[in-house]
Amino acid sequence: MAWLLRRLLTVLYTLLVVSILVFGLTQILPADAAVTLLGENATPEALAAVRQRLGLGDPAWLQYWHWLSALLQGDFGTSMRTDQPVGPAMFTALGRSLMLGGCSLVLMLLIAVPLGILAALRRGKATDVAASLVSYLGVSLPEFVTATLLLIVIADHFQLLPATGYVAPSENLVESIRHLILPVLTVSLILVAHVSRMVRSETIDVLNSDYIRAARLKGLPPRIVLLRHVLRNALLPTITIVALDVGYLLGGIIVVEEIFAIPGIGRQIIVAITTRDLPSIQAGAVIMAATYAIANTLADIAYVMVDRRIRYD
Amino acid sequence: MTDALHRLLRTPQGVLGLALLSVLLLVCLFGGVLAPYSPETMDFAGRFAAPGAPHWFGADQLGRDVLSRLLVGARSTIPLAVAATFSGAAAGACIGTLSAYLGGRWDEAITRTIDAVMAVPHLLLALILVSTLGKGSLNAALAIAISVAPSMARVTRSVALAVRQQDYVKAAIARGEGGGWIVLREMLPNVAAPVIVEATIRVAFAVMLFATLSFLGLGAQPPASEWGLMVSEARRFMHQAPWIIVAPSLAIAATAVCFNLLGDGLRDALNPRDER
Amino acid sequence: MNVLSVGDYSLDYVTRDGSQRVLRDISLSIESGEVLGLVGESGSGKTSLAWAIMRHLPGNARETPQGRLHLGDTDLRAASPKALETIRGRRMSMVFQDPSTSLNPTLSIGRQVSEVLVRHRGLSQNEAWRTATEALEHVELRDPARMMKRYPHEASGGEKQRVVIATAFACRPELIVFDEPTTALDVITGARILELFGRLREETGVAALYISHDLALVSRVADRVAILERGGIVEEAPSDRIFRQPAHDYTRRLVAAVPRPERRLVADRVAPHELLAADRIAVRYRRKRLLRAAPRPATAEVALDIRRGEILGVVGESGSGKSSIARALTGLADYSGTITLAGRRVGSAADMDRAYRRAVQIVFQHPDSSLNPRHTVGDILARPLKLFGGALSTIPALLEEVRLPASFAGRYPHQLSGGEKQRVAIARAFAARPDLVICDEITAPLDVSVQASVVELLLRLREANGTAYLFITHDLNLVQQVAHRIAVMKDGAIVDLLDIDELRSGKMGAYTRELIAASPAPVG
Repeated sequence: MAWLLRRLLTVLYTLLVVSILVFGLTQILPADAAVTLLGENATPEALAAVRQRLGLGDPAWLQYWHWLSALLQGDFGTSMRTDQPVGPAMFTALGRSLMLGGCSLVLMLLIAVPLGILAALRRGKATDVAASLVSYLGVSLPEFVTATLLLIVIADHFQLLPATGYVAPSENLVESIRHLILPVLTVSLILVAHVSRMVRSETIDVLNSDYIRAARLKGLPPRIVLLRHVLRNALLPTITIVALDVGYLLGGIIVVEEIFAIPGIGRQIIVAITTRDLPSIQAGAVIMAATYAIANTLADIAYVMVDRRIRYD
Repeated sequence: MTDALHRLLRTPQGVLGLALLSVLLLVCLFGGVLAPYSPETMDFAGRFAAPGAPHWFGADQLGRDVLSRLLVGARSTIPLAVAATFSGAAAGACIGTLSAYLGGRWDEAITRTIDAVMAVPHLLLALILVSTLGKGSLNAALAIAISVAPSMARVTRSVALAVRQQDYVKAAIARGEGGGWIVLREMLPNVAAPVIVEATIRVAFAVMLFATLSFLGLGAQPPASEWGLMVSEARRFMHQAPWIIVAPSLAIAATAVCFNLLGDGLRDALNPRDER
Repeated sequence: MNVLSVGDYSLDYVTRDGSQRVLRDISLSIESGEVLGLVGESGSGKTSLAWAIMRHLPGNARETPQGRLHLGDTDLRAASPKALETIRGRRMSMVFQDPSTSLNPTLSIGRQVSEVLVRHRGLSQNEAWRTATEALEHVELRDPARMMKRYPHEASGGEKQRVVIATAFACRPELIVFDEPTTALDVITGARILELFGRLREETGVAALYISHDLALVSRVADRVAILERGGIVEEAPSDRIFRQPAHDYTRRLVAAVPRPERRLVADRVAPHELLAADRIAVRYRRKRLLRAAPRPATAEVALDIRRGEILGVVGESGSGKSSIARALTGLADYSGTITLAGRRVGSAADMDRAYRRAVQIVFQHPDSSLNPRHTVGDILARPLKLFGGALSTIPALLEEVRLPASFAGRYPHQLSGGEKQRVAIARAFAARPDLVICDEITAPLDVSVQASVVELLLRLREANGTAYLFITHDLNLVQQVAHRIAVMKDGAIVDLLDIDELRSGKMGAYTRELIAASPAPVG
């Protein structure tokens, strides 16, 4: 119980630091945020208007306090681009990103875990070497390369799936799925490369352990050794691995949404950056980081619940 | 030093990695000389030329020779990424070692803060920094250095903590050695090796991040022939001339593979116990 | 009919540097109801023989064609993998060295015991569970029904080893292979396990191969003992004879190296001039962290004194606090209380000045981690010379003092063996010309013959320099050979502080008596 409390405090601290970091970098760091936003050639009146609107004349801590207190009450500011409240747009976009991310995670797990375990079981043989090569390559390709290559081959060349765009599932489920396949595939492939390698090395450690040897020497058939003894121990760290990968996932989503024109939170952030929409940048960054922090915490809790050893810390 | 090199050459990853590295080094240094054309020479008649003579990797939408742009672009892509990684790694390593050495409450505070900073995905952090500092290669490099630092600090800290537990450090404390001597002469030589390995692998990541930033229009600016930028510009012409995209993509991948291999090879080469 | 017969069996391991012969023409046999002890030092190949019998050799193992391995009338070498699955666990089973790693951490204890019953005796899950519970009761585990539902990390080392033994006996095998089953356990716990083994053996009449490095222990447990040296059996004899009349040279050396309390290695008496006194020392390791309970102190308030030139032995089981004392005395752990060295008071680690550091040196248990892998031996020895005054030119002499060649100065630790590394660590301690050297279980990880030579070295150095030792160990036989006084620790407190004469005459506390009874002197 005390552990849970400590963990929650950690999350709160994380969110606090993230908010300071984001706010500091976007609003305090530039010598004159108004100039950064409007450009060098803006008129003095326009600059003054922006300064007024964003409260740039106040001392730094006060600006932060205004922003933070508004945030905690659910007010994410007003977009400088659309003049609409930032919050609702961002959260809708987040929902779409979560769907994309969620599907990718599921697909990744379905592929990476069996692949990693298989590679470990056939260590050193052809299957393993092939899998290692593929994952080496997967880890060395930036998301935009993978995405673009998939686009070229599947959407352009074979014309199998639409290249870009997004259709909400509520509108048309089939079309929605067709549009999601390529982005989900892109994100999954990269994650598969990372995760399968880690699953492989965890499984190898388990296979070499004393207790697996003891199980074999009890005369248990290989199938039972694998299913009852190996899997549990190999899969346990997978939870942690997946949690770490949520970070990769979020980074990759930004690029993938940009390339496939999916209106998720990553896309919103990019648009905000290119249009210098400060409140949107701040809100988007905080929301994304908060999602990561919460996902990590959930993974930690899940891990503790499953691995009995840690409970007694 | 030479000893490490010999051992590196004994691993297949080391050999491959060094071979690739030499190629990349050559291209960075002599790319301009090796390039058959100037990267900026436009040839409207030869637009979208397919690979073959006279353009071995084809020509892009403005008729520029892709091969030449690749060769010259290496200088825009790789050195900055390497420099960014190593400066970020150096900063991170100092913080990590300090945190491990201080221990106690300071260590906890520093670690929790590093973890918090790492809650912001690398690309996002780089994006925010670039949006504040402005577009351009140097700012992108700075952004990368800053995003590499926290994870390097974490790695360094855990290595330093493990070293701190070793009996030879305790022996030094029991002898009454000063803190400076312990950190520099007992801990650092044993911490340096794993950190160098990690840093080398991060270069791969930095190259990819740098290319991604350029792809998004926030890193290198046209008409630079940075590889990520080349991919971004070529997107519109994928259907007509896929080679404009494929060539720089493969170059980025090759670079990342090179540093990953080097890192793996160094891991074995720098381990003193593995001399069997 | 022999339960196990091994004939002319040889084994090689193939590595990058070529083929290495690990077992040479091994021939031995075990009859029903008999226990054969197999004794060898590290590198003798004894564990490889265990794997060979269980048919679980690593991928780079090569057996010679003529070797024979028979379990009863079954040819083990010819057995198919499927056949081996029915033999293992059912007709032959194994008890491993470290119970904390040989049980699956994610399965309940009950599951791990009952699965052999389901597999080999065809019982249903429920029947197997019930039978398993009875088996746990039979190995003297308290509340077996609850233990069945527990997970390995919730049981102590001794309890886990009983579980492993119960599993091994569960299907009434013909042969059980024991691979150093008590090495990872405390002395008293280990003694209880051996008693259990004796009882089960009588009840079931099982044949056993008992592998260990501890000749003294094996000679008490086994009917016959075979001595293994570098892959070959050099002698085999009934256990009551092997100590009294060792025939082979190697056996003689082993026997001579085994610590025997009646054979005193230190003959002198020590004048009661106090060198160091520790008063009301309590060692505390962790500070109270946020939202966590304050950690228990590692020691209660301990007081001890060491006289000039004396060897003070400190014994106790793991967790007794003996290493904590060592750390407090060298400033490696926080403590409350005072230390007085030659009249000067030292209130905390910060008070320990250069003179104190020179006078009090420490040698650690694990030679692998006590030498910086990136420093040469010469670098390592140069440090104390620089700090405490001494010419670098004396390094060859220092090495010679510990019987190492002067050329070792240019070598790195990973190029040395365990025993050689420990000698370097001792040389490093003596380079400062200390008054007191703390030896923290320094012989524990060493082979018994290497241990004997290290002890001999320590005694020689003491004669030459008049150094006192704080000799921390868990080996009661060894400490009785060398110490002038012995302090016995339990749960962080000193429960007994005796002169060696007092101990010999039988005057000791109950716990000390228990410890001594659990560390039998060799038979013969």
